[in-house]
Amino acid sequence: MNIVVCIKQVPDAPTIRMDRERMTIIREGVESIINPLDAVALDAALTLKRKQGSRVTVLTMGPPQSEEALREALAAGADQAVLVTDPRFAGADTLATSHALARAVSRLEPFPDLILCGKQSIDSDTGHVGPQIAEELDLPQVCGATEIHLEEGSLMVKQVSDGFLNSLRVSLPALVTVSSDLSSPGYLSLGEIESAFSGRQILRWGLDDLQLRESEVGFEGSATRVLRLYRPPPKRKGEILNGPSPEIVERLIKKLESLSIIDEEDAGA
Amino acid sequence: MNLEPTMKQSVIRRSVRRFAEEKIALLAAAMDAKAEFPRALAGEMASLDYFGLEIPKEHGGAGLDTVSAAMVIEELSRVSGAVGLCVSVHNSVAASPVHEFGNAHQRKVFLEPMARGEKIGTFCLTEPNAGSDASAIETTAVKTGDGYLLNGNKIFVTNGGVSGMNLVFALNRPAEERKRYSVFIVESERAGLEKGPVEDLMGMRGNPVCPLVFHDCYVPSENRLGEEGQGLKIALASLSGGRIGIGAQALGIAQASLDVSGKYARERYQFGRPLCAFGGVQGLLADMAVRIEASRLLVYRAASMRHQGLPHTKESAMGKLFASETAVHAARTGLQIHGGYGYTKAYPIERYYRDAKVCEIYEGTSEIQRMVIARSLLAEKGKS
Repeated sequence: MNIVVCIKQVPDAPTIRMDRERMTIIREGVESIINPLDAVALDAALTLKRKQGSRVTVLTMGPPQSEEALREALAAGADQAVLVTDPRFAGADTLATSHALARAVSRLEPFPDLILCGKQSIDSDTGHVGPQIAEELDLPQVCGATEIHLEEGSLMVKQVSDGFLNSLRVSLPALVTVSSDLSSPGYLSLGEIESAFSGRQILRWGLDDLQLRESEVGFEGSATRVLRLYRPPPKRKGEILNGPSPEIVERLIKKLESLSIIDEEDAGA
Repeated sequence: MNLEPTMKQSVIRRSVRRFAEEKIALLAAAMDAKAEFPRALAGEMASLDYFGLEIPKEHGGAGLDTVSAAMVIEELSRVSGAVGLCVSVHNSVAASPVHEFGNAHQRKVFLEPMARGEKIGTFCLTEPNAGSDASAIETTAVKTGDGYLLNGNKIFVTNGGVSGMNLVFALNRPAEERKRYSVFIVESERAGLEKGPVEDLMGMRGNPVCPLVFHDCYVPSENRLGEEGQGLKIALASLSGGRIGIGAQALGIAQASLDVSGKYARERYQFGRPLCAFGGVQGLLADMAVRIEASRLLVYRAASMRHQGLPHTKESAMGKLFASETAVHAARTGLQIHGGYGYTKAYPIERYYRDAKVCEIYEGTSEIQRMVIARSLLAEKGKS
């Protein structure tokens, strides 16, 4: 079975800075990581690979330095990596991104049986890209999977929505976006990292390779415009209690009681 | 000159940091309190190649460059000095010399289990009467039949309590001036090798440092590393690499001290303001940060030179000297920022303070490093 995992390189949350002129997040010179939910998707793909021998391709669109995320995925156990990169892809919103990624997926041979994505990214948090790729490719999709396994050629997916647990059977090929409950990625071995950075090839596809027109991608191909980027004012002021633990606990309990968040009975129990 | 980490090094640092924060951080205080080294943790680290950092893949290692290896030690030490110490000593003065000076048979039989982390390594040079003056060692290796009989006492052996493979320096040819010593790879299960009680240390308590006593301990000739009389050469070459490891370790402790102190200075309020709003405290943090960054550049440069095969005795001594004095400074300053709380075991800074001190002592005291640096300088001067 062939699995494609779409990943996105995102700024590590504590180092995020904004470009107020261009209304974008500054990515250059910032510590970047694989979007945590995409890492979960990759781990789920690698689990399927271990169980029943799949071929796992990681796919990302981004500037050349996104190579780091792909190589990290190779170190984790992916078999092939594709970087969709071209200066003309810059400024893409989720629609233009999904369009380019969908084209890249359809260029893979053979066409994948399963496409896995994280449910959303920590930087823009839209959750659009997975579903939009599925729409472009006309595939069945399930969002926010908490469990997946194969059963007689179709995929069994568990998904929590509106407080209910749905068990679904999905025919393949399909696209599934995953939630953090699905798995917890393990640690990379140093030898695998070394191998991933020496001698492994990364496929690089640009606008022409994907046979796309400039008007379909990047800023021009985007349906949305960011009007304003700002940090929302904090709603509530946090308070930090300092001191030795027993004393802090006492003060915390008093505080919570005074706010009627707990009552004395809770505190005693 | 490019001073930025490569993509590979960024992934390595991030990956080791995550393991250290998720797996080691919770154990670090208990390891220190109980003076225990958790075997299960070592097993996990072995599976991630932490015991074969620079050893090539064909011998079971990860095949990293020296700068990446230093980053691994730095990140482990940032969470636990004792774990960083274990990995540093095992890699840089036990596994690396066996790789560098060992023959094909020794690489197969002794190095591979070390690189896979099945056998933890030690470097047995120090003796009761031979510390800074390593040439004063009294342990003897007397030729007998097809091997040698070792007799003597080695002390302060890092990793001693959990070791499986020990590099032992012994007096072998007393008549020859600079070629009196030889090195032997001694498996811990050999008859005649006895491990003494684990030392009750001030810091690095999670590392089982103990004496190793040799009483008519027979080792076959195939366990001799290098030629007879190469002991001093192997010791000096190993220590140049070892100092990069200890420098990286000191760097990790210093960084940890800055990290917790910056956090504390933001959280702790006095006179109605957080400590970090006071110029005096800002100055302390800034000085720590400057020294740490300077240490990092020195240690990485020495590592880079070693990786390129350039002479690096002076540079690794400089890195080790400056980073270890920085670790002590950063831990002391950080403890001062923490005030009375820093003096309790409720905060990790007191552990960093105790751990940092030994960096100025082992693998060559600061005084010895200054001697090594001065000698190199004067020798360079002589040439010009």
